[in-house]
Amino acid sequence: MATSDRRDDRVEPDEPEGGPLERWTQRAMQNPERVYRALFYVVMIFFMVTTLFPFYWLLVLALTPQSRLLQGSFLPQIDLFGAAAEFPLPVAKGFNPAAFVSVFEQVPFHLFMLNSFALAVTTTVIVLVIASLAGYAFGRLDFPGRGALMLGILAISYFPPAAFVIPLFEAFTGNVPITVPFTEIPLFTPPRLLNTPGSMVIPFSALFLPLSIFILTTFYAQIPDGLEDAARVEGTTRIGALFRVIIPLSAPGVATAAILTFIAVYNEYFFSTIMATSFAAGNWSPLVGGILSYQTQYTTQFNLMAAASIVGVLPVVLLVVVAQERIVSGLTAGALKE
Amino acid sequence: MARLKLEHVTKRYEDVTAVDDVNLDIEDGEFVCLVGPSGCGKSTTMEMVAGLTTPSEGTVTIGDRDVTNLPPKDRGVAMVFQNIALFPHMDVYDNISFGLRLRDYPREEIDRRVEHAADIVQLEGMLDRMPDEMSGGQRQRVAIARAIVREPDVFLMDEPLANLDAKLRVHMRTELQRLHKELDTTIIYVTHDQAEAMTMADRIAVLDAGKLQQIDPPLVCYNEPANLFVAGFIGSPSMNFVEGTVTESGLESEYFDLEFDHAAFQGVGVGDAVTIGVRPEDVYPASEAASLSSGSRPIEVITDVLEPMGDEIFTYLLMGEGETSMAQEAATSDQLLMSIDPNTDITEDQEMDVVLDRRNVHLFDAASGQALTHGIVSPPDADGAAGSPAETDD
Repeated sequence: MATSDRRDDRVEPDEPEGGPLERWTQRAMQNPERVYRALFYVVMIFFMVTTLFPFYWLLVLALTPQSRLLQGSFLPQIDLFGAAAEFPLPVAKGFNPAAFVSVFEQVPFHLFMLNSFALAVTTTVIVLVIASLAGYAFGRLDFPGRGALMLGILAISYFPPAAFVIPLFEAFTGNVPITVPFTEIPLFTPPRLLNTPGSMVIPFSALFLPLSIFILTTFYAQIPDGLEDAARVEGTTRIGALFRVIIPLSAPGVATAAILTFIAVYNEYFFSTIMATSFAAGNWSPLVGGILSYQTQYTTQFNLMAAASIVGVLPVVLLVVVAQERIVSGLTAGALKE
Repeated sequence: MARLKLEHVTKRYEDVTAVDDVNLDIEDGEFVCLVGPSGCGKSTTMEMVAGLTTPSEGTVTIGDRDVTNLPPKDRGVAMVFQNIALFPHMDVYDNISFGLRLRDYPREEIDRRVEHAADIVQLEGMLDRMPDEMSGGQRQRVAIARAIVREPDVFLMDEPLANLDAKLRVHMRTELQRLHKELDTTIIYVTHDQAEAMTMADRIAVLDAGKLQQIDPPLVCYNEPANLFVAGFIGSPSMNFVEGTVTESGLESEYFDLEFDHAAFQGVGVGDAVTIGVRPEDVYPASEAASLSSGSRPIEVITDVLEPMGDEIFTYLLMGEGETSMAQEAATSDQLLMSIDPNTDITEDQEMDVVLDRRNVHLFDAASGQALTHGIVSPPDADGAAGSPAETDD
């Protein structure tokens, strides 16, 4: 009520010339808060739609029976008191929750999920350990060549992963020895890693390391020297101080690096489809391989693929929800006050 | 419980020598203060004892062990840091027991020791608090408890009181002294505050530009400073310095002459350029000269600024023409600082005569800054050149 009163007060003098838009602009100029709020809602709605609509669409697809999927037209006609219109949101044609069960019947989808999960956890652990050590060195030690090395890592992180695929695939087949560059001198023959976790965990770790190193370097650099000195005098080694004091105090940074790495590997498609030579759970084919195996030469079961996608995404959603709370609590409890 | 020895310890960084050939021999149970201005190398010296920095040269010995290349954890030292450095993610109990848990002490032993340490620093009932829920003084006590709980051979304290407010600092000063009496452990205490050093230490080690200037009990440093730097650094306000020359008949400076028999003192010859040093409390109004057994000839001065402190008045005196010049340093100048009884009748811009107590006039070599003699009454040993402050007051 108060707002409408005020609006009337403001509008009265300008009323004669303006239409609604002009009046709104007039008010916005006098009170820019309104514009910011409007912009906030526009942006919010935009992101809500772009992020949530795909999930809604997946759900619609998953629930529609296979037989009716191909008939298309998910925008239903509504006939309301003679006025016919198209309902703007797609809805499921029919209701077939059984798709979520047949997902597991047709393909051992849980095994694909387990593969992805195992690959993601292993990579995350490797990345965190190495990035922690690197972050400690870059963030807390002063050594010659630090800038150059950091730049090198930055350069590698911008390298297109596709550039690595062919040489890595060749190396992981275990058929040819690795040679000294530009010569024929063999160094060693790598073991055959195709269709094993090694062929995926190794490139994933290498590719996702730079980001984690950057995150952890900035976090570790902020821990006061005094705390590390105190831990060392109290009886830890440098490494001990890293794990007992610096890492716990950088919990938000470690969690961020861990989640980003985990999600990136869990969703990885490019390397895993190549390094696992077929979409078989036994070949360590990940989640994406599982989803794609509902597609055969002649049929594509869109409803099952959609259902599998939803199932596959759930663990990550849970992880983010849980971890987000941890990150927030870590931020508030961290209190790096001295 | 151990004696600590630094032999020819030197620390060089790329372009600076932070610590230059320092030798220290600290007795078991001694409380030694390292003092000096900022950047004099006292913290670096401390870090080398703790093992946080490796010396470029020289050896550090704790007890009979050469610890020069041992990591901090194997040295048997505990340290209290200037920024307190409690682990913010652990409660008080975990902070105090950190070192013990690392060494795998049995649970009951840890409990017993933590309780005892908390008892000593009066932290009972606060063991489950987090550091950020405590006041500065409480946190400092936790840091001290963390150090004493390990029963170290040597305690290192790096300006532990610097971040506390003035009142708490004085309080903690006494607590630390009491603690030292109770534990009887070797303590090395770094500070830039000479008052802290004077009040607490058994011996004071004065450092400047990485070099050890003097290591002696506080009153010896005060009464018999080894050189100009120590004389100027120890004591507040600082000693007066006046340039002078040794003549046949005595000491001559631009503004006054002093009776001095150079023949009675070794290392002083006619024509030598010297710096004459005298503390503010050894300058007296001429009216009090009668009470001095060895006052100097009167010096004409004009009072400049008075600083009443309550128990005494610091009086700035101008010698010679009495032209006020700004930015007078404590170094040689035409200015004298006199500390007098608060009941003295004195005003600004007043002409008066003052005398110096010759027993407490120090002579330094003008070129090297080394002390030549403390007291210029001959024979030098007759009247106690190393007179205590009590003597100077009568």
